[in-house]
Amino acid sequence: MRYSGLRVLTEGLFGNKGWKPAWRDPAPKAQYDAIIIGGGGHGLSTAYYLAKNHGLTNIAVLEKGYLGSGNIGRNTTIVRANYFLQGNSEFYSHSLKLWEGLESELNYNVMHSQRGLINLFHSDGQRDAFVRRGNAMINQGDDAILLDREGVRRHLPYLDFEQTRFPIYGGLLHPRGGTARHDAVAWGYARGADRRGVDLIQNCEVTGIDIENGRVTGVQTTRGAIRAKKVGMVVAGRSSQVAAMAGMRLPIESHVLQAFVTEGLKPVIDHVISFGMGHFYMSQSDKGGLVFGGDLDFYASYAARGNLPIIEHVMEAGMTLMPMIGRAKVLRSWGGIMDMSPDGSPIIDKTPIDGLFVDCGWNYGGFKAVPASGWCMAHLMATGESHPVARRFRLDRFATGHVIDEEGTGSQHNLH
Amino acid sequence: MAELIAKSPGAGLHLPVTRGGATLAEWLPGAITSVAPFAGAGDKVDAALTPLGMGFPAPNGMAQGKTARIVWTGRGQAFLIGAPAPEGLGAVAALTDQSDGWAGLRLAGPAAADVLARLVPLDLDSFAPGTAARSLLGHMALILMRPDPEVWDILVFRSMARTAIHELDTAMVQLAARAAG
Amino acid sequence: MRIPCPLCGTRDRREFTYYGSEDYANRPAADAPAQAWDDHLHNRDNPCGPTRDLWYHDPCGAWVRVHRDTATHAVHGSDLVAERGQA
Repeated sequence: MRYSGLRVLTEGLFGNKGWKPAWRDPAPKAQYDAIIIGGGGHGLSTAYYLAKNHGLTNIAVLEKGYLGSGNIGRNTTIVRANYFLQGNSEFYSHSLKLWEGLESELNYNVMHSQRGLINLFHSDGQRDAFVRRGNAMINQGDDAILLDREGVRRHLPYLDFEQTRFPIYGGLLHPRGGTARHDAVAWGYARGADRRGVDLIQNCEVTGIDIENGRVTGVQTTRGAIRAKKVGMVVAGRSSQVAAMAGMRLPIESHVLQAFVTEGLKPVIDHVISFGMGHFYMSQSDKGGLVFGGDLDFYASYAARGNLPIIEHVMEAGMTLMPMIGRAKVLRSWGGIMDMSPDGSPIIDKTPIDGLFVDCGWNYGGFKAVPASGWCMAHLMATGESHPVARRFRLDRFATGHVIDEEGTGSQHNLH
Repeated sequence: MAELIAKSPGAGLHLPVTRGGATLAEWLPGAITSVAPFAGAGDKVDAALTPLGMGFPAPNGMAQGKTARIVWTGRGQAFLIGAPAPEGLGAVAALTDQSDGWAGLRLAGPAAADVLARLVPLDLDSFAPGTAARSLLGHMALILMRPDPEVWDILVFRSMARTAIHELDTAMVQLAARAAG
Repeated sequence: MRIPCPLCGTRDRREFTYYGSEDYANRPAADAPAQAWDDHLHNRDNPCGPTRDLWYHDPCGAWVRVHRDTATHAVHGSDLVAERGQA
């Protein structure tokens, strides 16, 4: 069923009785050409692009819960392409271009809103770093505008510019940055993949990965064994557990990152604001809630909830930056499980096992990567070669030293 | 040679101040020497400290002699406060003069523990008189001692004196306001 | 979360700085193969459940190995890294 304004109007006139489920609920077949483990944003987009770009339609996505039940529904929905290092910048640039065509591509409203992202800086040294970053973004073909203090004030007059600890010197505006509706991205890709024949199998937990003579032959699941010559593990948040089924130890440590939302307010914050020095960022959802977050709790955790000291820290940072939000009531806080890699960059690569591929290590930035991650993982699984924009996301880069340390803090688990 | 004017860490910071049931004053501890016993020299360190009427303290411990106090300040380390290091101690422990590195404050009165509870992540109800702890005062490193039930001695880094006084005074104002309300 | 320091007693989480898996305490020999160093520095079991990891108790300067659960945040105990291997 194709969605359109006319369809909404027609259904409205006839009691909305004509809507069909957006995807089927098939039983698993005994064999597929390829299996994607993980029905989140990345897994669903991988399946979509395998079908769309590579004509592979005899494939299944196996999800242990329901589609989009993991981090795709637990993030703060920011979409941006403001990376500095080769390896990252071409990848996120590609991802942003896919975002910009995503709604017509999927015939689905993902509420992508390019409202502009402003990264604040607070010293001359930081300004220099942002000038370099802005130039790198422009060289990559994306957009960046350096704002001085008055420039920031024109966009964000409500910030406390006079605060003594981190006085605001200016900001780097990334006009094409913004937000999107997180669940809708999963639903849009799910519907698109289903329409191209992909089996989306929910409540189907993978319990083992079958390997013979160094080749993957299929998976064991709670709904029986399924054979396939190609298996992709796209399970950020549980990557270490799934990889362990194939006898692998990944360079991943799982951490909890908290996020917060206030009660719905009238439109007040038009941009995505990032206050790096205070470990704080914020945007306002279309529903009106202020959506904000900070840094990791900083200990290994799968609990999907955090501790109070970080909550206090985030609130302090928010109040420092924009005292006016002190009157807003926080409705909810929650935590997501981050696949943290030693250098803070992701992995899309083959594994030492033939036919087994891995897409993981998205740290705290997986949402904006959903389209390009699927695009590149599909390319890798279909052709056996890394996609040019993801060629540096190697699994072995910590052993070889070809790390992508965007933060410039080093390549060790306790540094990001 | 220029004659420099010695100033205490709290000079000019408007102490003492009393709000409700708590009084914050500057506390001048005198000489502070870090004592880090050499490996296996615990008994010799105790012997060297005997003339002061004290031994090397256990974790969270302190001992008060006639002229000096010794307080546990970390793994394998204590601060000798108020007297110079006794003879022979330097042969069995690493000694470092820290006298000018710290700012001393004394918070006293029936509301003192309630003020501290707003800034220190410790259970102060179970903090027995005559004991000590290393912890945090807000975001600042802290050595906290309770020589008497209503007296709390506080050491923070000297560079943090102004911030520590500001934070403590803010907590005192808020607590006093609540009590008055 | 509250964490026991073997010296100071149970303290608030904010007094501690996290380092990571206890793998960091098991340093390979200087002439160990590169794979051993890669495992030591990067590759992790990353368990969902019982784990042992290293925390630094900032106030007292002790390195502490904490036994805890990554799924529930329950903390079961701790010991001093400096006393590992001693009776």
